[in-house]
Amino acid sequence: MTALETQVDSAAEAPAGRLGGGFLPYLAGKVGGALISLGMVILLGFFAFRLLPGDPVAKIARERPMSADQIAQLRHEYGLDKPFLAQFWDYIVNVFTGNFGTSYVYKMPVSDLIAQYFWPTILLTGTSAVLAIVLGLWLGQKSAWARGSWFDKIASGSSLVLWSVPTFWLALLLLMLFGGILHWFPTGGMVTANLAPWSGAWLISIVAHLVLPVITLTAVVYAQYLMVMRASLLEEMSADYLTTARAKGLTEDEVRTKHAVPNALLPTVTIVFMHIGGLIAGAVTVEAVFSWPGLGKLTFEAIHGPDLPLLQGTFVVFSAIIIVMNLIADLVYRQLDPRIRRA
Amino acid sequence: MADLVFDDVSITYSTRSARGDIRAVKDVSLDIPAGGTLGIAGESGSGKSTLIMAPLRLLPDSATVTGRVLLGGEDVADLSFGQMRALRWDAASIVFQGALHSLNPVRTVAWQIMEALSHHTAKSWQTPEARRARMLDLLASVDLAPEHAKAYPHELSGGQKQRVMIAMALACEPDIIIADEPTTALDVIVQEQVLALLTARVAEAGISLVMISHDLSVLAQVCQRIAVMKDGEVIELGSAQQIATAAHHPYTRALADAFPTIGDPASRMRPARRSAAAAAAEPVEPAKPANPAGEGTAAAAKPAASAPEAPTDPVPDAPSRPAPEAPDAAAPDYASAPVLLEAQGLSVTFSARGRRVSAVDDVDFTVREGEIMALVGQSGSGKTTLARTLLGIQEPDRGTRVTFRGEPIPTRGRALKAFRREVQLVLQDPSGSLNPRLSVYEAVAEGLRIHGMDDEARRVAEALEAAELRPAQDFFESIPQELSGGQRQRVVIAGALALGPRLLVADEPVASLDASVRGEILGLFLDLRARLGLSALIITHDLGLAWNIADTVAVMHSGRIVEKGTVDDVLLHPQHDYTKRLIAAAPSLRPLPEGAATGAEAGGGTGHGPAARGSHAAPARDGR
Repeated sequence: MTALETQVDSAAEAPAGRLGGGFLPYLAGKVGGALISLGMVILLGFFAFRLLPGDPVAKIARERPMSADQIAQLRHEYGLDKPFLAQFWDYIVNVFTGNFGTSYVYKMPVSDLIAQYFWPTILLTGTSAVLAIVLGLWLGQKSAWARGSWFDKIASGSSLVLWSVPTFWLALLLLMLFGGILHWFPTGGMVTANLAPWSGAWLISIVAHLVLPVITLTAVVYAQYLMVMRASLLEEMSADYLTTARAKGLTEDEVRTKHAVPNALLPTVTIVFMHIGGLIAGAVTVEAVFSWPGLGKLTFEAIHGPDLPLLQGTFVVFSAIIIVMNLIADLVYRQLDPRIRRA
Repeated sequence: MADLVFDDVSITYSTRSARGDIRAVKDVSLDIPAGGTLGIAGESGSGKSTLIMAPLRLLPDSATVTGRVLLGGEDVADLSFGQMRALRWDAASIVFQGALHSLNPVRTVAWQIMEALSHHTAKSWQTPEARRARMLDLLASVDLAPEHAKAYPHELSGGQKQRVMIAMALACEPDIIIADEPTTALDVIVQEQVLALLTARVAEAGISLVMISHDLSVLAQVCQRIAVMKDGEVIELGSAQQIATAAHHPYTRALADAFPTIGDPASRMRPARRSAAAAAAEPVEPAKPANPAGEGTAAAAKPAASAPEAPTDPVPDAPSRPAPEAPDAAAPDYASAPVLLEAQGLSVTFSARGRRVSAVDDVDFTVREGEIMALVGQSGSGKTTLARTLLGIQEPDRGTRVTFRGEPIPTRGRALKAFRREVQLVLQDPSGSLNPRLSVYEAVAEGLRIHGMDDEARRVAEALEAAELRPAQDFFESIPQELSGGQRQRVVIAGALALGPRLLVADEPVASLDASVRGEILGLFLDLRARLGLSALIITHDLGLAWNIADTVAVMHSGRIVEKGTVDDVLLHPQHDYTKRLIAAAPSLRPLPEGAATGAEAGGGTGHGPAARGSHAAPARDGR
């Protein structure tokens, strides 16, 4: 053996290149990137909504008789009479002090409004996201493994049909059928009035209100997860290491769950988190249809205004959620893939 | 101990396409007695990989096996799936091309080896602790440190991954190991180590070995008997010695000739063509290019400037090489030709996260007009970085001077574009370097359009003809998928030739091609030099390639050129230890004529290649 060992010198075999570094530099880099994205969003939040058609003051003035002085007064209150750059400066200063201004419509601080509507949205989208991810990934890997089978055809086909259905249409259909005709579930809101918070009846009421919006939201998005998982696993299925695993005497189920799926999950994770943005877009429609008191409904109403401070606020919050999700995707991916974690 | 017997085995793939069923293996009968070693040689598509998947029933569902495959006397077709699973890895295990993707990228080495152990528990490894201990023993037996147990596949080099594969194959004490191209993607020195290791372990444990390779010289080192497969049939079966040196079938001889023996004058400047008939059909005989009588000084000028002390015969101890017939005597007179490309103090340093890695370190060399230079080195030696720098793709460090026809290589703008017309690149894998959706005409014309050259149709036709795709018009509308590997590489070369370059930089131009095509492409380089005076810088890990066609050779190691000079000087009289090691590690089929095998002396043996030298390999040979 000694002859062999001496032959193995470092020059004969260059070890595989080590990229990347420790966790902290990686984290710092990703968080820095997220902060830059957030900065861009804050800038965009100011300019995008000033380009929207419609003058909020004129809109308010149309609804009730106002004198020219009153209109000027209103403009002054909203800071709309200041030069553009001064408005921008005020906006920046306010954003960094957590002050998004006062809603034109609700006449209360935007930050308070968002705080109030934030958790219902998290409840709705979070539940839907978990359901859609579990359902999509499970069906996706089953479909890929039995490619071309009836299971595959039915699972992929029905998911694509649901994905193609307009969200509002499906929401209205479910609302009419299960709320209006069958009276199985409430048709709107989040909780029946006059129930003591955190009582059993209160919790049941919330779940009952949650069912239809969650079904709608899950149904329209899970196809993306199914398709990504299916494609990703199909790609892995021809990989040589699966032949190695079979040659070792593993059953097909073991080959799938221990070897193929962990590898197929890697590209899926990134896309799963990125698609959470799509979930939030769906939430705006679903919350509007089911009168769910969340940020989506708030946004819907703010566009009607146009309620500039409220729009800016919800826009920044939604964007921040998506940026945070992408950040989590990067961190999770690093944990899942040893080639990035330790490479 | 179990025998493996193939009894009149045919394997057919059913396809839905118009081609109908494909008979991948036809009526093959082979037997491997317990403890025996059999090599199966063949090119891609010969059915050799399909055949060895049959004993463990690892073929896809579309494959139908007829005839009998007997493993330890039992027909594997009669086993239930559960019985088959129990047999897998326990009776026979497989070593795949581990350098590629045969290990799961997200599992550690320890996990993957212990998985095999836990599926086939024997008395000695029933507990997890015992399995862990056995796993560490296995790693030690393939010369891997215990730390490697925690490693993921990407953290290992190609040779280390192959060692892990071997350790895993040995895990459950199988009767038979099936090795499918186990060293194909490895460098020569690593290949030698892995082969020695595999043969040693197999001989120690009395395991039978079935090894598949496209490279006869590798099989000749390891196996007692060799079967040669072509188009699904075994066309020749014999002892390794007989197949390597006295093959009956012309195809076997062609396979054997494809990889030259360094120092063998018969293959110098004469890469093996597919067949004599094919060579005769070539309008230009590349081995002896038409050379005007006025250039009669060529023979005398053959020794390069770097070897002035050897004025007439650069190989004094190779009397079997008659000077008048030496084909390279007719090579263009490159030694006194003007310098085309010159590098002085060329260094490339990469800096990654504060660390500076020197990829190319203070390299000097010249390529003259009409010179074919081989840049030889292992992966990681910096040879590809060097080539990228010469093409102006990679920026060298300050203080580096690279000139083309005496002018510094331009770095931007119109001058760079003009420079790139003169220096063209040919990459390793023609399937990857051709756009699958472009026709041959479009692929060749693309460069012409980028450089705004007129008379497109004529230039494309000329380039294809020059690359020996004749008649060119027949290939215009073909897409890469319809062409063979050799034809694809010719299209790549035609694409380079269309621009009228002076220098071709080729990065492993034949490494992904079948043995029989290899000689054709190498011959093309000689041919182009003879007809167009083209220079070539060929980057390769293959010393045989340098022996086949190069005038000069530079050996690169850890970013430095450790030795350079004429092919005769460097390959027959290597000075640097690293060159000696490279030459010693190169597998060879047959002993050289007495005295010509100077290179092999470096190994301290008789020059039959590593198997004959390494004591581990001896049992495999003696057992015959």
